[in-house]
Amino acid sequence: MNRKLLSRLLLVGVALAMLAGCGGGNGGTSGNNNQSGGSDLSNLSGELKASGASFPDAYYQEVVSAFKEKAPNANVTYNAVGSGTGKKEFGQGLTDFAGSDSLVKDSDGVAAGSFLYVPTVAAPITVSYNLSGVDKLQLSADTVAKIFQTDIKKWNDPAIAADNPGVTLPDKDITVAHRSDGSGTTNNFTRFLKAAAPSSWKLGSGDTVAWPSGTQGGEKNTGVAQIIQQSDGGIGYVDLSDATESKLAFASIKNKDGQFVQPTLEAAAAALEGAELADDLTYNPLNAAGAASYPITSPTYLLIKSRYDDPTKATLVKAFVRYVLTDGQALAKEVNFAALPSSLQQKALAQLDKVQS
Amino acid sequence: MTTQTTQEPEQPALTGGGGGVRAERLFSLWTLATGLLVLAILALILITTTNEAWPVLRAGGFRFITERTWDPNPQTGDAVFGALSFMYGTAVSSLIALLIAVPISVGIALFLTELAPRRLGAPAVTIIDLLASVPSVVFGLWGVLVVAPALVHVYRWLNDVLGGIPLLGDVFGVPVGTGRSFMTAGVILAIMITPIITSISREVLSTVPQANKDAAYAVGATHWEMITGAVFPHSFAGLVGAVMLGLGRAMGETIAVALVIGGATAITPNIFAGGNTMAAIIVQQFGESTGLFTAALIGLGVVLFAMTIVVNLAARVVVNRAELRMRGAAG
Amino acid sequence: MTATVPPATRAAAGQPDLRRSALSLRRRTTNRVAMAAITLALVVAATPLFLVTWTVISRGLDVLSWQFLTEDIPNSYRRSGGGMAPAIVGTLVITGMAALLAIPLGVFGAIYLNEYGKRKPLARVIRTMADVMTGVPSIVMGLFIYVSFVVVVGAKTAFAGALALACLMLPIVIRSSEEMLRLVPGELREASLALGARQWRTILTVVLPAALSGIASGALLAIARAAGETAPIIATVGLTFSVNTGLFEGQNTALPAQIFRNASQPFAAAQGRAWGAALTLVAIVLIFTMLARVVVSRFAIKER
Repeated sequence: MNRKLLSRLLLVGVALAMLAGCGGGNGGTSGNNNQSGGSDLSNLSGELKASGASFPDAYYQEVVSAFKEKAPNANVTYNAVGSGTGKKEFGQGLTDFAGSDSLVKDSDGVAAGSFLYVPTVAAPITVSYNLSGVDKLQLSADTVAKIFQTDIKKWNDPAIAADNPGVTLPDKDITVAHRSDGSGTTNNFTRFLKAAAPSSWKLGSGDTVAWPSGTQGGEKNTGVAQIIQQSDGGIGYVDLSDATESKLAFASIKNKDGQFVQPTLEAAAAALEGAELADDLTYNPLNAAGAASYPITSPTYLLIKSRYDDPTKATLVKAFVRYVLTDGQALAKEVNFAALPSSLQQKALAQLDKVQS
Repeated sequence: MTTQTTQEPEQPALTGGGGGVRAERLFSLWTLATGLLVLAILALILITTTNEAWPVLRAGGFRFITERTWDPNPQTGDAVFGALSFMYGTAVSSLIALLIAVPISVGIALFLTELAPRRLGAPAVTIIDLLASVPSVVFGLWGVLVVAPALVHVYRWLNDVLGGIPLLGDVFGVPVGTGRSFMTAGVILAIMITPIITSISREVLSTVPQANKDAAYAVGATHWEMITGAVFPHSFAGLVGAVMLGLGRAMGETIAVALVIGGATAITPNIFAGGNTMAAIIVQQFGESTGLFTAALIGLGVVLFAMTIVVNLAARVVVNRAELRMRGAAG
Repeated sequence: MTATVPPATRAAAGQPDLRRSALSLRRRTTNRVAMAAITLALVVAATPLFLVTWTVISRGLDVLSWQFLTEDIPNSYRRSGGGMAPAIVGTLVITGMAALLAIPLGVFGAIYLNEYGKRKPLARVIRTMADVMTGVPSIVMGLFIYVSFVVVVGAKTAFAGALALACLMLPIVIRSSEEMLRLVPGELREASLALGARQWRTILTVVLPAALSGIASGALLAIARAAGETAPIIATVGLTFSVNTGLFEGQNTALPAQIFRNASQPFAAAQGRAWGAALTLVAIVLIFTMLARVVVSRFAIKER
């Protein structure tokens, strides 16, 4: 009973905070503020709504919770609805910022020039598997492509054996798991295959691709992880965070320099170093050069408006994103995401100064 | 008008109060309006959803139901929306469900109408009622976490035994590791449609006149021969209706199927492989869809709506006809 | 002497042997097998019921606690702890509102069918279409409310979910109420009419009270049915992690939607929450179903 009452009171509190935020917005005199959000977050109040990619969801939820402790009157919600829907809602003005693993296309409904990319974290996409008796697996891009196209149907296929000298592979059927929903993870994974195994990979790339029959589709990264977990002989692509949390084993993937690399945060960071940065701060760490780079590393971005009409909103967005890029970076490691290299971090922080109000 | 008002004071007891006429009319109109609401909602469903899906239906035309590719986000070119794979999945999973559920349901109905002693009848009915009251998402949860992993072993064994035989080997092909497949969806659906087929079959079977049964016994029929000779011919049409109602339910079931069918866009004869149905794909992809993609999913809903309406309408007509005729025969 | 004559001779003598053993072995076995199969059908149908009930109870009880019933849902699936309070509140709010919409409308619709429309062609059409409407897939109903309400209003709310559930309940309430109204003896109506009451007063003061408990039980069954619907909730209600009692403000959630989302998670904590939510939902559904039975049995006693 008490608990219920408490949650009611909390609701009322949140409502009041929102009112206060609105009131502040109307009374605000000058939009420009020079305070660096890091110092006095406790004065912040208001509500931020965001939605988008589910890939970095675990990380953002951590940051949201931590931010809430620093700024108890500010309420930030991030709804993992997928990159596509996130971009649409952002374009319609339903949300204050959006999360996306993929770049904005013309058809996404976000006007070019109205927004800025802010890279936040990166993470390796693992090729996770469930094969009793095999706890170490190495795969080249060509073999991965053939497995996911179901050209290779058994675990003891010569192609897999060639990648794994000295490992006894069982005579088991392979069950391929992929995303059933449209996904930035699928996009990045298939783009890697297209780039690294151009001769073997025939399914193209995109948020969804036409997977062959005999495969299994799961919802979100966690749905794919569950399928692998449930099937002896299963293999699929899952972000490192969910794969680790689901206690899955993952394969080492052969990178551009011919080395088999485990999906680790260090290897992802190495890939970020090797990636080329565009002027709008987008970058492509897939199949990056460098002996230590993990080749299937996915970037993720926040999309923020280049101009917010409501100055309090602008303050709050800046404060939150600044928090993500500073203190929040330390949280990344705990949930298995790779923090940005400091050069990129500085450039991302500089993006915030471009926001007008 | 004037004659009425002059008459009213003379017969107050028979026509009620002066305001009664208007109240009566208002009341009956109001009840009529609520009755018409049913027709209005059905019409609105068709109009609003078709309208929303129109961009895709117009662009795709007939191809919407003959195309098997479903690619909402191609890297190049326009999105392709084809419902064929999902229509195939709906058909296969429903068919498997019927193959399992019909014999069982008709069996239970026969048990209740022909065999059961009174003491056993009531608990049997309770079992069926309870089965009907379990929410479909609970069957889905049970299906995906318990049933599918357990059935894999059965599937592997069936594949070992039958896999080598041509044709049969294609149908009982290599099972997916999770067990999430057309077959598992069919099994879960079978459990879910058993109550409705049973209860309608029971109604239909109980209308068979005693005279017909007695006649069969009189010529020396065994119990089973009486059932095949007297009960089935008499109630055949009604049973067909019951089966069609079950089919309608199986086609429209969403959540349980979405969890256990495996989420692959595929047309394959292998019933142990993953697939998808129209209803399931809508609920899986609706949350992350935008623009034309949303329209296409709603378009799937329109096709599904049309198909279930046709099946249900036909079933109701068949059942009603059969019941009318049987009542006539019994009377 | 005659007693030892084999049956065959007897039959030949013109007296038919009616004993079961006289039937050919094939016919006897067929009959036996068929009867056994019919009885077996019941066992086959009962097995999944027992299995699913057992699994839900045993796994659900592991999770169920006061905390589970009263705390907010964790915003990350992998976190353990937390509860399902928002979903329980959501289910009650959404289903309650749906009942408020569907039951009065459904009862009036039934009154039209049974008291005014009777065998008129229009009434027959409505009756058949109400039956057909019970077969409309719930996801289609969800899409319908999505395009005709959510898109128009611009927000997913509990009320949108209530509208979708009400559309699903309406035909069930109409058809079950009509059956109950039909059971009310014609003499009651005639007596009331003969006393000079108009038809609408007769219906409201005589017919409806007589059928009330039957109607109530039908309505309770419809509520139980609606409480377990998932697909329309997902399409129209959205998602929240904290308790939201408002019908029109903000997104909401419900037990079935939470079961669905948690069921496809690889994390033990999430799967546990799914089982706990399933047990809670089954309990709610069962309470309504049992209420319906109690109401019906009361009604039966009154009848006598």
